[in-house]
Amino acid sequence: MTYTLENLVISPLVPEIFIALMAMLILIVDVFMTESNKKWIVPVSIATLGIAAFLSFNTIGDAPVSAFFNYVVHDSFAAFSKALICIAGIFTIVLSQQYMKQESHLGEYYVMMLFAILGMMLMVSANNFLTMYLGMELMALCVYVLVGYQRDMLRSSEAALKYFVLGSLASCMLLYGVTFLYGVSGSLHFTEVAKALGNHETQSSIAVMTGLVFILAGFAFKVSMAPFHMWTPDAYEGAPTPITAFMSVAPKVAGFVLFIRILHDALSPMLHEYVTILSVLAVLSMAVGNLAAIAQRSIKRMLAYSTIGHVGFVLLGLISASEEGYTAVLFYMLVYLFMTMGVFAIILLMRRDGFKGELLDDFAGLIHVHKGYAIAMGLLMFSMAGIPILGGFWAKFYVFMSAVEAGHTQLALIGLLFSAIGAFYYIRVIKYIFFDSEREQFNLLTDRPLQAVVIVCTLFVVISGLIPQTLIQMCESALVGFI
Amino acid sequence: MELHNVLNFPILSLSIFLPTAGALLIWLLIKDEKMVKIATLMTTVATFLMTIPLWAKFDTTTHHMQFEEFHPWIEAFNINYQLGVDGISMPFILLTSLLSMICVVSAFECITKNVKGYMIAFLLLETTLIGVFSALDSMLFYFFWEAMLIPMYIIIGIWGGKNRVYATIKFFLYTLTGSVLMLLAFLAMYFEAGHTFSILELMEYPFNFQWQFWIWLAFFAAFAVKVPMWPVHTWLPDAHTEAPTAGSVILAGVLLKMGAYGFLRFSLPITPDASQYFVPLMVGLSLVAIVYISLVAMMQRDMKRLVAYSSIAHMGFVTLGTFMFTQIALEGALINMISHGFVAAALFLCVGVMYDRMHTRDIGDYGGVANRMPVFAAVMLLFAMANVALPGASSFIGEIMVLIGTFQADPVYLGMPTKWIAIIATLSIVLSACYTLWMYKRVIMGKIANSNVDKLYDMNKREFMLFVPLIILVVWMGLYPMPILDVLHTSCAHLLEQATSTKLDAAAATAVHSSMAH
Repeated sequence: MTYTLENLVISPLVPEIFIALMAMLILIVDVFMTESNKKWIVPVSIATLGIAAFLSFNTIGDAPVSAFFNYVVHDSFAAFSKALICIAGIFTIVLSQQYMKQESHLGEYYVMMLFAILGMMLMVSANNFLTMYLGMELMALCVYVLVGYQRDMLRSSEAALKYFVLGSLASCMLLYGVTFLYGVSGSLHFTEVAKALGNHETQSSIAVMTGLVFILAGFAFKVSMAPFHMWTPDAYEGAPTPITAFMSVAPKVAGFVLFIRILHDALSPMLHEYVTILSVLAVLSMAVGNLAAIAQRSIKRMLAYSTIGHVGFVLLGLISASEEGYTAVLFYMLVYLFMTMGVFAIILLMRRDGFKGELLDDFAGLIHVHKGYAIAMGLLMFSMAGIPILGGFWAKFYVFMSAVEAGHTQLALIGLLFSAIGAFYYIRVIKYIFFDSEREQFNLLTDRPLQAVVIVCTLFVVISGLIPQTLIQMCESALVGFI
Repeated sequence: MELHNVLNFPILSLSIFLPTAGALLIWLLIKDEKMVKIATLMTTVATFLMTIPLWAKFDTTTHHMQFEEFHPWIEAFNINYQLGVDGISMPFILLTSLLSMICVVSAFECITKNVKGYMIAFLLLETTLIGVFSALDSMLFYFFWEAMLIPMYIIIGIWGGKNRVYATIKFFLYTLTGSVLMLLAFLAMYFEAGHTFSILELMEYPFNFQWQFWIWLAFFAAFAVKVPMWPVHTWLPDAHTEAPTAGSVILAGVLLKMGAYGFLRFSLPITPDASQYFVPLMVGLSLVAIVYISLVAMMQRDMKRLVAYSSIAHMGFVTLGTFMFTQIALEGALINMISHGFVAAALFLCVGVMYDRMHTRDIGDYGGVANRMPVFAAVMLLFAMANVALPGASSFIGEIMVLIGTFQADPVYLGMPTKWIAIIATLSIVLSACYTLWMYKRVIMGKIANSNVDKLYDMNKREFMLFVPLIILVVWMGLYPMPILDVLHTSCAHLLEQATSTKLDAAAATAVHSSMAH
């Protein structure tokens, strides 16, 4: 392919370009606005993401197209994940309203979020290791800043620093792994790499194995699989709560989708090797996530470990390496997005005087204070635990099903047992809410946007539990053209 | 697909979702506590009336599923909303709807805080229970089976006794751990049997022995916890003791039957060869339940715990009868399950009546209750005798049938000395007399033990009315069990035929066929 301007197809990336332009526009205009005038930033950001989500969603089902000299690909798979990421972004902005009231420099906060989302959208579209790295770093740098946004707060700065150091290390490892594959194949395009790896002699070389291990380790850091999960609890606890919600969903969606693309497009000749490694990581993640969560007293830390556990379950879908498995991952992410956003919305509603509302104890007796929040939280927790009539059940069901279909029955067995163990800490939250009496008198926030998020998420979880058919079909159609 | 639905009317769906609809209406519309109670009762009565045609229009001459309904639910996984009942499941639906009414009435006075929440949770529980017994798709079955945990967790956790949190979490985790293994078995079978979750199709599919072995064990994990069988029974005394009276009634009356029902609906027909292979295990555990748990029951000080342990012992007879592979033992097991539903429910209600007055369940706090509550003493005597399986009570029919069936069972086929098993089981009926009558003597008979007992007053009309239907049913089933046996007969014969015919020949044939195809 000649690198001429005529060959530079950019139309598939309209949503990304739109977000980039809007983010820069907000950044510039923000400088000239007075503090009181900055309210408009929020609706504009939401609208930007909404339009981008709509544009992406509209292309589901279209034939795959590549752009920027095949450095980027836009197919239904990417379109669906982009829509998910934008929705996560919208939720996060809504969640941020109340929390960020006392902070200044709000404009930058939203610009950072838009750029982070841009990075993620680039990630899910990446067709080349260079694009992958660009998207990933754009996302990571923005998220580091967002984690440390409350810079006057020791906890927040500490979390950001920890996340930054470990995250950079992970990026280095990933990049290091990529160099090996480049050395072997002479190309950074996924398909070219796969071609080179298809050769039997190359496959068994130490260089390829080393490259594979480093790439997997880098990804393991990014999506917080055990044993590369160390940063997760600290970063989750220290970050502003809306950013915690954002981190536990959007980068996971982007990371997993990119991961699937690399595994399927570039590393498919190494199927046997990567399945072995990922199986170990999956079992460790399920074990660490579900066991360590039991010991937590802070709900944010508990949810951090719960995320690690969920990552372990999602990995089963990747390990299946089948259309079923990848569909299951998308469906899991879709349900997980709504479950997590709902839970964090409730945590934010529980906030009173600074940091209270983040300990499990603070939830004691919620049923006597506010029935609606209590029931919503109960349903969301049952859903996270994977109890039927709620969406979380079908999400887990689907990944286990794909694992059994691919012949990984033992892995499914381990996963199911850990999900039963994991149920303990979810139903313990319900125990605090429903069975205990309140420790002290407290008043809850009544913030309309937050309540709306809770209602939307709870309804989604219930409806996806009762009639999941449409959503599953949507996820299936997202894979058309990818496999 | 041809449906056997004589009424052309979705009677099972209505029975399942009527309680849910009632719960929704109560949640949205009714605030007044008294109105909530009445509305709940009306809902359960309506549900009961809705289930009566299942009995009235039931065709006892066929083993095929009746009142069938079929709608695709999740096409991606070939999961269907498929309902239907046969002679094995139909009685349990009636049992559920009947006991639900009684539970609601019994809750009128013993539930004092957050009545509305309780009634809603209870109605949702009824939905899941009826759903479990009418599902013909294994995922639909699992859906209801697991969904049941949510209302039950809440009911024990909020309205239970002192140690309720421990009890309810234990209950939840035990059941969940058992059921996830069942889920794995469903998934494995789905791919082996050609992408189907339909129970009827799985019954037909020839699994080879290795498959049957593992599937049976997975089922066993789920059902043994629910029955419960020794040694996974320990959740039950806690859950029973801490649950509110109405919760205990529905637990003993219906929930325990789900496990045994699972053995009948899944283990025997789907994995007949493995079922036969595991007979020694099942018989051993059943005998432990009958003998050892009876001894444990004798040593209990808490009346509810005693009745709970007695339930485990009685379920031992059920599992014994289930795995004897004779028609009469199988029918006896079913009669035992139904009868235990009445008797255990009534005994828990009896304990509840006393607890409402004295706020203690300790046997030591009682003595000479008969002096102050003569009517109650008579009622309790009747159910104590029924618990002992005295002739004339429904439990006598059940236990005698299981014992006869055990005597009849083929020792060569089962590889077990069935005569000795029967003798041990027969002798242990004495044990149930020991613990039940000893408790009765200490609580009801003798002189008035203390001033608190002296202040007791007899049952009011509402309390007495609770027992009337149970008394009628226990005595009627004890004297004239034919109508129920008629319902069971054809389906049991068919089940026995499925359970005793090996699937291994067909499995070998399929294996040869597929290897030739390669």
